[in-house]
Amino acid sequence: MEKLTLLIPGIPILIAFLLFFINKKELIPKISIVLSSMIAILGLYGTYYVMSNDTQIIGFNGLLVYNELSAILVPYVAILGLVIRKYATKYMWDEAGYKRFFILLNFIFASIYLLVMSNNLIVLALAWQLMSVGLYLLVSFNVGSKTAVKNARWTMYIHKGADFVFLLAVILTYQTFGSFDLLVLKEKWLVMSQSPVTDPMVLTVGLLYLLAAMMKSAIVPFHIWLPYTSEAPTPVSGLMHAGVVNVGGILLNKMAYLLILTPMVLNIAFVVGLFTAIFASMLMLVVSDIKRSLGYSTVGQMGYMIMEIGLGAFSLAIYHLIVHGIFKASLFLESGSIIKYARKDPNIPERLSHKTFLEENTKFKSSKTFKLIALFTIVPVVAFVGIKILLTPEFFEFNAAIVILAFAWLTGTQLFLSFFKVSKFDSIKAIFGIVTSFVLVLFTYEFIGLSLEHFLYGHDSLLFYKAATLNVTLVSALVVLSLVMIVGWLFIYKQHFITLPATKEKANKSKWSFYKLLVKEGYYFEIFNSSKKGKL
Amino acid sequence: MITDNIVFLNIIFLLLCGGVPYFILLEKSDKFSAKAIFIVSGFLLLSAVILSFYTDREYMTSFVVISFFTALYAIYRATQTTNFYKLGYYFIFINAPFFILFEEHGAFYSLSLLVSLLGIYAIASFYEKHYGSANYLYVRGITLATPLVGIHITVYLITIGLYPPLPNSLFFITHIFNSEANALWFVIVITLYAGNFLVSMRVLEKSIFGKINPNIHYVDLNFKEKITHFAIIVSLVLLSIYGIKEILTWA
Repeated sequence: MEKLTLLIPGIPILIAFLLFFINKKELIPKISIVLSSMIAILGLYGTYYVMSNDTQIIGFNGLLVYNELSAILVPYVAILGLVIRKYATKYMWDEAGYKRFFILLNFIFASIYLLVMSNNLIVLALAWQLMSVGLYLLVSFNVGSKTAVKNARWTMYIHKGADFVFLLAVILTYQTFGSFDLLVLKEKWLVMSQSPVTDPMVLTVGLLYLLAAMMKSAIVPFHIWLPYTSEAPTPVSGLMHAGVVNVGGILLNKMAYLLILTPMVLNIAFVVGLFTAIFASMLMLVVSDIKRSLGYSTVGQMGYMIMEIGLGAFSLAIYHLIVHGIFKASLFLESGSIIKYARKDPNIPERLSHKTFLEENTKFKSSKTFKLIALFTIVPVVAFVGIKILLTPEFFEFNAAIVILAFAWLTGTQLFLSFFKVSKFDSIKAIFGIVTSFVLVLFTYEFIGLSLEHFLYGHDSLLFYKAATLNVTLVSALVVLSLVMIVGWLFIYKQHFITLPATKEKANKSKWSFYKLLVKEGYYFEIFNSSKKGKL
Repeated sequence: MITDNIVFLNIIFLLLCGGVPYFILLEKSDKFSAKAIFIVSGFLLLSAVILSFYTDREYMTSFVVISFFTALYAIYRATQTTNFYKLGYYFIFINAPFFILFEEHGAFYSLSLLVSLLGIYAIASFYEKHYGSANYLYVRGITLATPLVGIHITVYLITIGLYPPLPNSLFFITHIFNSEANALWFVIVITLYAGNFLVSMRVLEKSIFGKINPNIHYVDLNFKEKITHFAIIVSLVLLSIYGIKEILTWA
């Protein structure tokens, strides 16, 4: 019975095949939704089986596996798929190519399931490439639009590059380790991790997998395909931002035991992830197009995801991609609906958050708020450290903890400030309420994160943190953390509580240049156009 | 030990599979139209495939290098044309190094290439019959106007563009996993992988995408044409099944 779970990648292909012969438009979404519900049910059953029996479901001569990673990701993708299909039923109704859309959607879901459930590098390579072509045809769905087709071409170039790098990595993996089977390879990599690895080929293989993941997950400098593909239908955008772009993280999780052997690759992942997170977040703030802004937001989140992998927090990356996926999919699907309603209603659609917060802007007294801000910048770090000590004291043995701590602080402070700015809370009750909910949310987040880590990797998770650890003393790491906190705090204080006198003086040249760099999105297209005209 | 026999056989294969750019001469001749060159080169490749099943051969580096330069030139020419017939035979020349380098393994790849090119040929005939020529540039909006024709063009070009689960990609992957890599191997594999992809994507973009042109009377496939394309698709599916079997045996 449990082996039926392994049929999941085949079901969307079956749906696509059935849809090809159906001419009644009403039946297309119905068949698609009913049969894809089966995937969700099978996925949930598989997850229940894996969790209750503490085992993996292996089939098709070991080519497919329903393991802990599949148990988490397959139900997530299946439920996401159901929501997207349901949403697309009405949203795409008036579009030309309704049937084509559902067929392509099912093809891309088949490739995602195959990718998640593959236990063989060749099957993984096939799924990896199938996804590229499915994405290309979906992004260029609006075939009449020149920009959609042009952006789809960019997407295709980057994804084909990722396909090639991945194939190369698979060939070298086979030549170096002598197997395509991921379970066999995992055992080999675990044994090898007991002694230092000096073979440069292992490092090359690790680097190639990282490069392939970076390309598919839109990490800088391969990010450009994602912000510019928003012209695709909204359900496709939802799928891209919540599903397709995460495959880099999924791949690196599948290769987690290889990356233990290559700490340098993890360190590179950390640096590129960090750079992407910061750079894309800044671009998100300055670009004038709201959809591109959302695109850069996803790029930034992918940066975080790769950075987490670079820190050895592989399971955290999975947690991150699921949480971000749900959030971003709901954001895209909601934006699509709002645009649709706005076309019918001449007034701007009413937003609850806008009404509650912005229309009731409060004025605060600076002396009191200064103390509150001081409190709110300390509370997050105290809460985070306390909860971590309570749940995982061994976490502090690795200096990855310091970086995660710094980010927890940044996020927590930002969250508090947002609450502070938009609420009327001069009362102790409100402050107590916010702090309590923060601690509660953090505790739940940490608890789920920890459970996920134990479920996916058990005690091996410590191996990953160990591999990612740099030779930096705890004292120097703490000094850096303190510096980050002080600079961050001063910045926040200056931004929010010092009113600068309005002057007619121009901002200095370096600030302008930096702003121009961001507005021009890193001069990406200028460089490309210059090379096209033969200037480079 | 390279004997005269091996050299002779290699020359024969080089000529048959499009390792030398004989299309340059044929294009200059008034007697050969693009359609005729397509048929001739397709027939010669088919002969090479059949011959390769009955003969043992061993590739010679110099011949691979010759066919590689032919492939580079063919890629360049393919990016200049907007005619399906010309495109068809350029693809044969682009893929010649694979046939030579991978010896008997290249034969299956070439066979599936021939089947997908048969599809391109059927599409070219369809264009010639209904739109006056096999030129695709001015017949835009095919996907919206005649989706079935659009699907067929997409399938054929994606097959040639080396995407799984279509057979060309499966044979390509099987053979590159199955062989010893050296510098020449890397150059050939990268060139073919990128060349086939770039040319087919370029054609895909320029042929099936775009808005419907109200000045064109779009025609869909008739029953006979549907049967032809169905047969080609079935052949591709059968080759895919064989390709998957091959690749999984290897995995």
